[in-house]
Amino acid sequence: MDLLDLIDLIQALTDGVLFGTTYALIGIGFTLIFGVMHKINLSYAAASIGAAYLSLVLVNLVPAPIVYLGAALAGGVLGWLIYLICFRFIPLENPLATLMSTVGMLLAIEELISHLTLGMPQNYPALFANSNLEFGSFFLRGDLLFIFFLGCAAMFALTMLLKRTKLGLATRAVAQQATAAQLCGMSVSATNGATFVIAGLLGGIAGSMAGAAIGVLSPLMAMPLTVKGLVVTVIGGLGSIPGAIIAGLMVGGAENLFQFLRGVSERDIYVMLLLFVFLTLKPGGLFAAPGGRD
Amino acid sequence: MLELQQLSRHFGGVKALDQLSFEVRAGDIHGLIGPNGSGKSTTVNLISGVYRPTSGLVKFKGKDLGDLETDRRVHLGISRTFQNIRLFGNLTVWQNIWAARVVRSEGLKGFRERWLSGASRAKEDAELLLSFGGLEDKRDVLASNLAFGEQRRLELIRAAASGSDLLLLDEPAAGMNAEEINDLELRIRELRKLGRTILLIEHHMELVMSVCDCITVLNFGRKIAEGMPGEIQQMPEVKAAYLGSDLPTAA
Amino acid sequence: MDFYLGLAQVIGIHSLLGLSAWCVLHTGQVSLAQGGFFAIGAYLAGMLTSMFQWPLGYALATGAVSACAVAIAIGFPALRIKGLMLVVATTAFAEIIRLFFFNFKWRVAGPEGLVGPDGSLGFGGIRYFPANGWSSFELNALIWSLVAMVMVLLAWLDRSRVGTMWRAIGEDELAAQCAGINLTAAKVSAFGIGGAIAGLAGGIFAHYATHIEHGNFGILLATFAIAYPILGGLASLWGTIIAVIFVQGFLLEGLRFLGEWRSLLFGVLIIVVMIIRPSGLLKASLGMRGRLNKAAREPEYRRDQAKSGTTDEVHHA
Repeated sequence: MDLLDLIDLIQALTDGVLFGTTYALIGIGFTLIFGVMHKINLSYAAASIGAAYLSLVLVNLVPAPIVYLGAALAGGVLGWLIYLICFRFIPLENPLATLMSTVGMLLAIEELISHLTLGMPQNYPALFANSNLEFGSFFLRGDLLFIFFLGCAAMFALTMLLKRTKLGLATRAVAQQATAAQLCGMSVSATNGATFVIAGLLGGIAGSMAGAAIGVLSPLMAMPLTVKGLVVTVIGGLGSIPGAIIAGLMVGGAENLFQFLRGVSERDIYVMLLLFVFLTLKPGGLFAAPGGRD
Repeated sequence: MLELQQLSRHFGGVKALDQLSFEVRAGDIHGLIGPNGSGKSTTVNLISGVYRPTSGLVKFKGKDLGDLETDRRVHLGISRTFQNIRLFGNLTVWQNIWAARVVRSEGLKGFRERWLSGASRAKEDAELLLSFGGLEDKRDVLASNLAFGEQRRLELIRAAASGSDLLLLDEPAAGMNAEEINDLELRIRELRKLGRTILLIEHHMELVMSVCDCITVLNFGRKIAEGMPGEIQQMPEVKAAYLGSDLPTAA
Repeated sequence: MDFYLGLAQVIGIHSLLGLSAWCVLHTGQVSLAQGGFFAIGAYLAGMLTSMFQWPLGYALATGAVSACAVAIAIGFPALRIKGLMLVVATTAFAEIIRLFFFNFKWRVAGPEGLVGPDGSLGFGGIRYFPANGWSSFELNALIWSLVAMVMVLLAWLDRSRVGTMWRAIGEDELAAQCAGINLTAAKVSAFGIGGAIAGLAGGIFAHYATHIEHGNFGILLATFAIAYPILGGLASLWGTIIAVIFVQGFLLEGLRFLGEWRSLLFGVLIIVVMIIRPSGLLKASLGMRGRLNKAAREPEYRRDQAKSGTTDEVHHA
């Protein structure tokens, strides 16, 4: 392999890692909800795409950054709605029921989007699409760089929220011991709802990032994003945010690398195989949640 | 029958068990006591195979159990009950006992039992156990619907259903009233008469002093005393371990 | 009339799919891999009859056995993964299978040109039934006799020691182990049997549809597969069948007049059913609570986390 091919390889890897922040955010969303409620919200990625769709309303009215903000806010609202519909009224001891209800929600969101847009992909604004940082034949795509920094900003804000605010403390308390948290005066349902809102905000950003990177929004994006998001969550360790971040970047990079090496139709096979490699070597994920002693 | 040699189990920096050694003789009812956190449950988990030792051995009938899986240990002859009851909640009382009993007829030995003497032998055993536990009229009730005392009895007979030579009882008296404890004591004695060896982990001093032949006392994962009930009650280390309160004498 | 016969065929095929998931769910493993085994059975059986002129019986059997073998191979590593991780892992597995067939091309010369799987274009020309003059009625008879056979098999297993062991494991793995039950044998066998049934269903599906493609075998199908036993209630086999009839018959076909809004309503309906009757339409489920709450463990800690202290549901005695 000569130098040019090597540069192309690194290019593919870098682009992938930069885009991987999207997967990282989705992974964080899944893991947040799992960490607090020990449930998986299968409709999360679909809601994220949905939030991006909702922000389309703003497209010709405000500059692009506000559109992304709009997507985040829409995501937060959607997150709360999903909590209300799929989780609030189903007994906690019945994880299968909530799993199924989120599946139902996933179907509903996908179908709703398809109907309202008549199945036509919608263009989504991207920032810095045409400016790149060039280093000879290697360049850092401007739009991907922006997404990367946007993602990092979101993660930083999340960390601040979790570590420095009362809400963050409540989230962590409820995650560890819901009954005791209640006895300390925390409202479990309010905290859970808030967690969904926070995850929704992240998801909205992720959805808009995905739209910006690809240039269009389409309901077909929901399923692959869901699957990749789940893969990221599992590789990172259920309940671990740092794990989701690292795994997200890794999956993003690996995905693009596989695409470069083997083409787009085989790419996902290898991503799944990567998951299995991890499950065999480290079944708990990169940062497994600690097991109880007694 | 059972021998622990220098058994240690660490969880990260915490030494749950530290070089524990003791022996349980066949046919004995052997008590294992100690304050909370002294390592009693860890010991049971190590013997039954739920945990693996960090160092040291568990020897059963002279053989080192090593890395043997929990279910294989049951077939060798060790069964246990749980401190927080772990019944098969959605199965009936009968099915709970049956699940443990039917597993015995596996392999060649089981083949003979099933086809030559028929499944009736297993059914008989299960019926016997059902009446032993006093649960005949509850046989079709779901385990999760039983009263607490009945659940504890079911745990006991389910463990006995495995036909094991060594029964590990993990705080079987927890939450019981005086009458239930008397019942429990009778059942434990009955099981010993039927040839089982019993390792009893308990907090209930009266029960322990009354029923045990020999007692090992743990504190902070180490053995601090061992002997017959009468001796144990006199030992200052034991009293100190329980924060200086005097131990009640046997009833 | 033909319409109803066709509907009955679909219900039959989905019943088999649901029964295969019932099997695996009994041991407490939530597996979204049934769609993958379905696909293996479909492609293999289809290829054997259309490309190599095998008789239907052998083709179906081979499809089922192969799916079973793959299921057993998957079953072993799946032992180390619990709860939600297993859901994700099995989803990923099913996706791999789907993507494999998306890329799979193998065509041979047939009586009317090339026949065989053609990657993303799918696999057409599985014309065993039309070519051999099977009527709709006969097809139904075949499908439903297979359903009956599988139900009898599963009912027999359920009553036997195998069933008791499966249920015990589904209730509490640790307690089951401490009662002497061999987890590996039981869980892998459940996986294998479930895989075989799904493979059989797939084989029939391929011949019923005459044209299959990777999109048929996506996550949606896998979700249907576990939805049937969950909606119908795990306690009885009939629950699954009734759930299939309910979903396929009433929901999808009965709501035909709603046209394209059917799927949306289906999604909404699932949500509603789960809110109103979380344990399924028929009797309560088999102790699945706590099962999905367990994250995977490090191999060193073999003990499950203590059960959550929430109150159990009340059953009819």
